[in-house]
Amino acid sequence: MKHSTLAKGMALSVAALAMSVGFGSVAKAEVPSWCGPKKATLALLDGYGGNSWRQVTTASGKQTIELCPSITKYEYADGQGDTQKSISDIKSMAAKGIDALVVFGDAGPAVLPAITSAFKAGKVVVPYRVNVGGKEGVNYSKFIGSSFENDGETWGKWIKTNLPKGGNILFLSGPAGNSQGIDELKGMKKVLGKEYVFVNPEPFGVTNWDPALTQKVLTAEIAKNAKIDVIVSDFGPSLVGALPQFTKQGKSIPALATSDGNSLGCFWQENHASNPDFKLFTVATGNDNVRLAVEWAVALATGGEKPKEEIFKAPAFEDSVSGSPKSVQCRKDLPGAIYLSSELPAEAQAKAVGQ
Amino acid sequence: MANGVSMLDNMQTNGVRLPVALARSFVTVSLSTLLLLAVCAFYAPSSVSWGALSGSLPFAAIIAIVGLGQLLVVQQGGVDLSLPGAVSLAVVVATHYPQQQNELLWQAVLVAAGFAVAAGLLNGVLVSIFKLNAIIATIGTNALLYSGVFAVSGGVPSITTPLLADIAGGTTAGLPHSVYFATALMLLVAFVLKKTVIGRRFEAIGASPLAGRAAGLRVRLHQVMAYVLAQLLYCVAGILIAGITREPTAFQGDSLLLPSVAVVVLGGTSLLGGRGFPVSTVVAAFFLNQLSQFALAVGVPFSAQTIIQALALGFGIGVYSIRWRIGSGK
Repeated sequence: MKHSTLAKGMALSVAALAMSVGFGSVAKAEVPSWCGPKKATLALLDGYGGNSWRQVTTASGKQTIELCPSITKYEYADGQGDTQKSISDIKSMAAKGIDALVVFGDAGPAVLPAITSAFKAGKVVVPYRVNVGGKEGVNYSKFIGSSFENDGETWGKWIKTNLPKGGNILFLSGPAGNSQGIDELKGMKKVLGKEYVFVNPEPFGVTNWDPALTQKVLTAEIAKNAKIDVIVSDFGPSLVGALPQFTKQGKSIPALATSDGNSLGCFWQENHASNPDFKLFTVATGNDNVRLAVEWAVALATGGEKPKEEIFKAPAFEDSVSGSPKSVQCRKDLPGAIYLSSELPAEAQAKAVGQ
Repeated sequence: MANGVSMLDNMQTNGVRLPVALARSFVTVSLSTLLLLAVCAFYAPSSVSWGALSGSLPFAAIIAIVGLGQLLVVQQGGVDLSLPGAVSLAVVVATHYPQQQNELLWQAVLVAAGFAVAAGLLNGVLVSIFKLNAIIATIGTNALLYSGVFAVSGGVPSITTPLLADIAGGTTAGLPHSVYFATALMLLVAFVLKKTVIGRRFEAIGASPLAGRAAGLRVRLHQVMAYVLAQLLYCVAGILIAGITREPTAFQGDSLLLPSVAVVVLGGTSLLGGRGFPVSTVVAAFFLNQLSQFALAVGVPFSAQTIIQALALGFGIGVYSIRWRIGSGK
């Protein structure tokens, strides 16, 4: 839908502006160790900012930046899913004299030349979460990835604990061939033996993270497979609308290992009593990945202490069986599209997603 | 597709054959669908189980409704590329405006319908009065509608209201409500097109605007009407999606543009305008949806799923043109 990107973009920038204006100051704590004495300016560059997850992530990044008084100016740009715009955003931020760039490089290696030229111009450049290729110290200052393999392992361990004798797993991820899904599968396969059978097409059921497509895919899989013991999905909230398909076909919703979301937690609380097999386990959905990236960028730009972590590992969040680290969380009074695992307080997230 | 177009082109110029052609378009698409169902039952029986059918029928209904809208525009020789924006806007208005409060739902529906009429008028005026190319004009309108989507939603999904979930997502006598909506709209469109004066004029103008004008028909009015009614149908589809999916995204219309055109062509309507086949279009929507369910149920990799769909679609159109040649040879 190339033709609609311009209009999407214009509206998005308005939304982003409204968000940054609307976001009030956060209580200042004492200065963290990664915040050095040197004054610097910082920009957060998003490849695509148009969903609630990104809005919560951006708000989290901004909150982290505000912890460091040495950052004198903060800017945000949204590439609106347009690679050309993402590239020109990076270049124009560098040209404007911003010292540190934290980049969510959705377009992958396509933004590497822009990142490299900013780095060569003496900027601190920290791409995060999406691999843009290149090398540390040559193309950028530091890459802060997210270990999706670690997520897969965490799910695998939970499945092993709760289904020790093996079983049928349905694994759903986003667009065909996305590296996140492939890494997660790798993680799961590390932990799970042959007694665990993946009933989805290799390597995962393609849902594009679209709730309508997820509903269609799940309908087909339920009809096809008499027994699904556990569903693994890397975007839990998009499953919420599809899960009632089990009830419609006269089956209990099975166990679910996924990432968290307020709407999912509330759905579990409403439905677990009538679905005896419905256990829920979530890992944090990873909004806080941006915090580590910002901490690195600030440390390098202001001469602060470098953080110990170099890769973001999403911690386990909810477990309906053991109640540890947390029992299933639900805030009915707040929008479904927020993530209670995020360090950003729930109310601030609600404000960030504009509801 | 070229075959389908040229075939129908011939058909329009041959007035005597028209009643036969109607039957042919319906029979062909129905036979293709039955054949598909037979293949499904043999190779992927789960895709024709009641559970799978009832789960996927709502999506077939959605494709059918947007297909009917696209049909009206195609009948006037146009094509409506503002469909994604229109559907997405209806979805976000129906979810964001009421914020899960049932009592606000009706207002949201009215607001969505208001947007639909405005967008339809804009398309209609640009294409029929200012004579802009339909593709260009509707792309512009689509961008405008998407800015509306962002203004309403900020790109963020919202959970639907319980009442709408009941109305659109519920079942009566075992059938999803959306199927009743699609059937009722199909009957309405078919009745108006085929059995009313206004419908007959509409088709005549679509077949030849110049002849229509010469006959003293209000060509522009009918053309504008096609765009307005199409938008209203997209609006219904959008509101139904908002009820069927619990937390629809703000871009739910994006995946519907191609199917909407595909079902119109599969249903036997010429992209050059003229006669329309609403019943065949709806059957084609079921065909297309069943095809994707089949591909999913076979359980092959995603790449192969796409190939199966493309082949079957080609086959569907191919069968159509072969039958026509046999018919025209007589």
